[in-house]
Amino acid sequence: MSAQSRREIWIAATVALVLLGVMPALNAWVPESSFFFISNFTINVWGKYLAYGILAISVDLLWGYTGLLSLGQALFFSLGGYMLGMHLMLMIGKLGQYKSDLPDFLVFLGHTYLPAFWRPFYSLTFAAVMVFLLPMTISAVFGLLAFRSRIKGVYFSILTQALTYGASLMFFRNDMLMGGNNGFTDFKFMLGSDLRSAATQRVLYIFTGIVLLGVYFGCRWLTRTKFGLVQRAIRDSETRVLFSGYSAVQYKLFVFVISAAIAAVGGALYVAQVGIINPSEMTPDKSLEAVVWVAVGGRGTLVGPIVGAVLVNALKSWATHAIPDLWLILLGSLFLVVVLFLPKGIISIPSVLLDFYKRRIKRPEPAEPTPVTTSSAL
Amino acid sequence: MSQHLFQLAAEGVSKSFDGFKAINDLNFYLEAGELRTVIGPNGAGKTTFLDLITGRTQPDSGKIEFEGKHDLSALSEHEIYRLGIGRKFQTPTVYTDHTVLENLVLSLAGSRSVWRSLFFKLNRSQRERTEEILTTINLTEHRDRKAGTLAHGQKQWLEIGMLLAQEAKLLLVDEPAAGMTDEETARTAELLLSLAGKHTIVVIEHDMVFVRQISKDRKVTVLHQGSVLCEGPVDRVQADPKVIEVYLGRKHVR
Amino acid sequence: MRRLLVFLGFLCTVALPGLRAETPAEVVAKAVALEDKTDEQIALIKSLAPSPELLSLLTLWKEGGIFLVDLPDKSKLPVLLEEAKDADGKQAALLLQSGKPYADADGKPLRLLASDLSAAETDSELRSAMKSILDLAGLAAPDAKSRLRAIEIVGMEQDLAKLPALKERTSSELDAEVKHALLEAIALTELKSAEPETVVAACRALGELGSIRSQDALRLLTKESGPQVKAAVEALQKIERHLVNVNFWGTLFRGLSLGSVLLVAALGLAVTFGLMGVINMAHGEMIAVGAYTTYVVQCVFGPGLELSPFGLHIALPSLKATGWLYDCYFVVAIPLAFITAALAGILLERTVIRFLYRRPLESLLATWGVSLVVQQLFRLTFGANNVQVASPSWLSGNWTIHDVGIGWNRLFVIGFAAVIVVGIFQLLARTPLGLLMRAVMQNRAMAACMGVRTERVNLLTFGLGSGLAGLAGAFLSQIGNVGPSLGQSYIVDAFMTVVVGGVGSIFGTIFSALGIGMLDQTLQQVLGNPVLGKILVLAGIILFLQWRPAGLFVTRSRSLEN
Repeated sequence: MSAQSRREIWIAATVALVLLGVMPALNAWVPESSFFFISNFTINVWGKYLAYGILAISVDLLWGYTGLLSLGQALFFSLGGYMLGMHLMLMIGKLGQYKSDLPDFLVFLGHTYLPAFWRPFYSLTFAAVMVFLLPMTISAVFGLLAFRSRIKGVYFSILTQALTYGASLMFFRNDMLMGGNNGFTDFKFMLGSDLRSAATQRVLYIFTGIVLLGVYFGCRWLTRTKFGLVQRAIRDSETRVLFSGYSAVQYKLFVFVISAAIAAVGGALYVAQVGIINPSEMTPDKSLEAVVWVAVGGRGTLVGPIVGAVLVNALKSWATHAIPDLWLILLGSLFLVVVLFLPKGIISIPSVLLDFYKRRIKRPEPAEPTPVTTSSAL
Repeated sequence: MSQHLFQLAAEGVSKSFDGFKAINDLNFYLEAGELRTVIGPNGAGKTTFLDLITGRTQPDSGKIEFEGKHDLSALSEHEIYRLGIGRKFQTPTVYTDHTVLENLVLSLAGSRSVWRSLFFKLNRSQRERTEEILTTINLTEHRDRKAGTLAHGQKQWLEIGMLLAQEAKLLLVDEPAAGMTDEETARTAELLLSLAGKHTIVVIEHDMVFVRQISKDRKVTVLHQGSVLCEGPVDRVQADPKVIEVYLGRKHVR
Repeated sequence: MRRLLVFLGFLCTVALPGLRAETPAEVVAKAVALEDKTDEQIALIKSLAPSPELLSLLTLWKEGGIFLVDLPDKSKLPVLLEEAKDADGKQAALLLQSGKPYADADGKPLRLLASDLSAAETDSELRSAMKSILDLAGLAAPDAKSRLRAIEIVGMEQDLAKLPALKERTSSELDAEVKHALLEAIALTELKSAEPETVVAACRALGELGSIRSQDALRLLTKESGPQVKAAVEALQKIERHLVNVNFWGTLFRGLSLGSVLLVAALGLAVTFGLMGVINMAHGEMIAVGAYTTYVVQCVFGPGLELSPFGLHIALPSLKATGWLYDCYFVVAIPLAFITAALAGILLERTVIRFLYRRPLESLLATWGVSLVVQQLFRLTFGANNVQVASPSWLSGNWTIHDVGIGWNRLFVIGFAAVIVVGIFQLLARTPLGLLMRAVMQNRAMAACMGVRTERVNLLTFGLGSGLAGLAGAFLSQIGNVGPSLGQSYIVDAFMTVVVGGVGSIFGTIFSALGIGMLDQTLQQVLGNPVLGKILVLAGIILFLQWRPAGLFVTRSRSLEN
């Protein structure tokens, strides 16, 4: 193991300890009056950020590592959310507005019994399986069609955009029986515990953090195998990959399905914590927003997307209160600036500065190629 | 045709782009272990011919058979590669963001499945093989450099190294000497000659000096307007009035 | 009150000759005075021949504009009140029967308080009698539109009593469309006839006419017995066939017009994306720029416009134009929309896109950032809600040809799309600029070596593409809402259109735009559900690309990408 990757693991471990150990501890055991107390609200917001971090990794695995800019990640994220949401809707039981066993919106639409496809969702296990299964199936079918006909680059982006757009149109409809415009909300219980209690939220937060950590290390491993080599080769020169005997279709399909699953997990955790899912989460714009996080943080790295997701969303939380009119302008400009001037994201700022400093100090020396990735698997 | 088994047999192959006949009723036969040089003026269809063999484009008519049993026109690029057909491109195409070593590892013969790639480890013989190739292509000290930062000639060498790593039966080499110094050119010729016999090789080249170096008394094929103009040893070909007319411009011998 | 004045005008002209038969006003006055005796009232008003004067009188009555003054002899005097009120709220009164001022014995005009009087009442029986008189009178209305409406109403009533009036009109009616409606109304009414032969003939006539309106009546007939059942069934079949035709042509027209909208929206993209390879996600916002320009021009021609973006206060002057001058605003708006959008595009090219020519994915992302910023700027300037753009009168009408409605605005879009397409082809094929554009798009480096100023050509090409988007915006403002997210609703469709057509092929874009438009409308017609239709179109496109990954028209080059 190289020094660099050992350092990386140290940093990851420290951050994980703070986020998963210290923060929940300060929330649970420190009195509210204390300076060190961390509010339930903060925990909940950070839980959301971490779920977004998972989504960001799924975007980066495709875009940063494979060169596939998928605008369908918001779709998979929402589908994951919807699948868990269906279970949570059923768990509301008779506590809804209409005091019926059916979810409120079904009663509102005049249904008297639960549609067949809703029934299995009484089981959390089934819902959890569906969180994976549905997005993975959709991504597999769509991916196979798209990759087989060699749709790549911006065409892939445009097509996934259309897919997401079409799906959101479908979910906006009431006769999908998925809540239409309003989607699902007002969740009450999960595994019998009150979703709005501090303890449940804390557990969900820690769980999200652990999943994020798992996803991070999983992807770290994946991108360092020979698969990762092929992945990056596809990004740089897909034609050449074919002439090295690799079926680009299979490799792209694999990574597309994996990242759909990752996005879906993020979505499910997001819904459990934020307590609402509706079709507006599913629009191509949401996918692009996730792309902003990755671009801002630094694509082609795994830390970058997480940093980007947290930073941009923290900025959003602040800006939508402080300067609501200007938030979109800020977001748009942020994106422009990053794409134009900082293509490797803020993660690269230290090395950019270092480079600049080096060049100022000793001008004549030619820039050494910096070995960023080490082939530890080889 | 006879029952004789050719390594590669192209019969009556035609291919046109928007009405332009790049390949026109081409017949081309290659014995196993042969080193064949293909020459021809610009637009003769040399590169298109390689595209047809490697599955980059499909012929409009005719068939291309590999080892008498595989119809190449029905297969895609990676499937053709897996039959044992390797190609070096006209402009060097290496993985610029990968290191030299990684480029070779990606090209090493072996499974191409997704699953195997997840649990791939370089074994001892593969490690030795890459070291050997690195020495052959003279890039040992650059093994951890990104391929994109190599000089043009070094990239050509790396690509040849990638062909070697692949252990292909049929090597298709498109203008290997372009952008090389005389010394490098000579070494390339040497390398190709050393491979002949073990592999079947098709070399496309413009540089007649290089052609003479590698072909010796071997067969040279002249392509013109998408079909074979004549075949034979380099001396005879160069003396052929038809060739002189089409290839060397007017009726002046260079 | 305008009706009152018109009525008074009539009174003056009618009142001049000395001895004569009773005027309608006198008869109506008599009828009004009868109060509760509905039957007699109806008899009286029915005795009058329909005339515009009678029309206004009855309307006035129905709407409570006639007042009754209690006379000492317990009889009632119908009067009208003039509009102007004096300080006590009193109004001058006119006698209904003569239109002369209501005066006391000395000839001094009396002024009355409206609240002291009771309005002449009508009961439902009387009102329906009035309505039928008004309807029949409408048959003779001077303008064809109101005539048409009156005929349709009478026809649907299927009142045999009105048959003579309808038949009388047939001889004098000149307008073909009205005459068609007249024949339809007659046949429809005759369905109620007691004689089976008449009913059968009427069925046949309705079948011939392809009368969609009569379907319900005919269906009722099929439940009866006798020869009319067969006739009705046959007529229904004929109408069904006609309906299929109408739907076909209607769908064709709507598809063509939707296709043209798509085409106009996608043409600009075909230039920037197809020819230049730049993915401009802000293309939709360029469309919105054109639409908002149209809005601003309209406001300047009309009531003026006050904007307050970022606390600034901008007041645009008003030309206070009306009539034809106001209608001209659109003529001014079209070139302005092109120019503003082109300038916006040029600005975008200079500041962002020129750094990203070789990096399509990055240009996608950067321009998406731009699109967010621009949308928000729209919101801050023009408000988050849609703004109202009124179509000029020459774009707001429509024709109905054999039951197929053809909106002028949609027709205009079709024609305009054709003009733009021809223009683009001319530009690319015939002008020096077009030559340079094609050269640069095919081989930038080579063109640069030949001394072409590629930077400038890029600039102009991008300006052209954006300008075209602006034109699309001007048109969309005529057929849809104009709001900050206008562009978003077209961008996906526009990209799809270009991809399906084959990137780089303007021809392909035309075919795919029309094809997608037709498919969309056909699916909508068949499924009866616009959203489902749209989803199916998207799915269809994805499958289509399986079959032809490079789109309809492949622009082939020997140097394969990558």
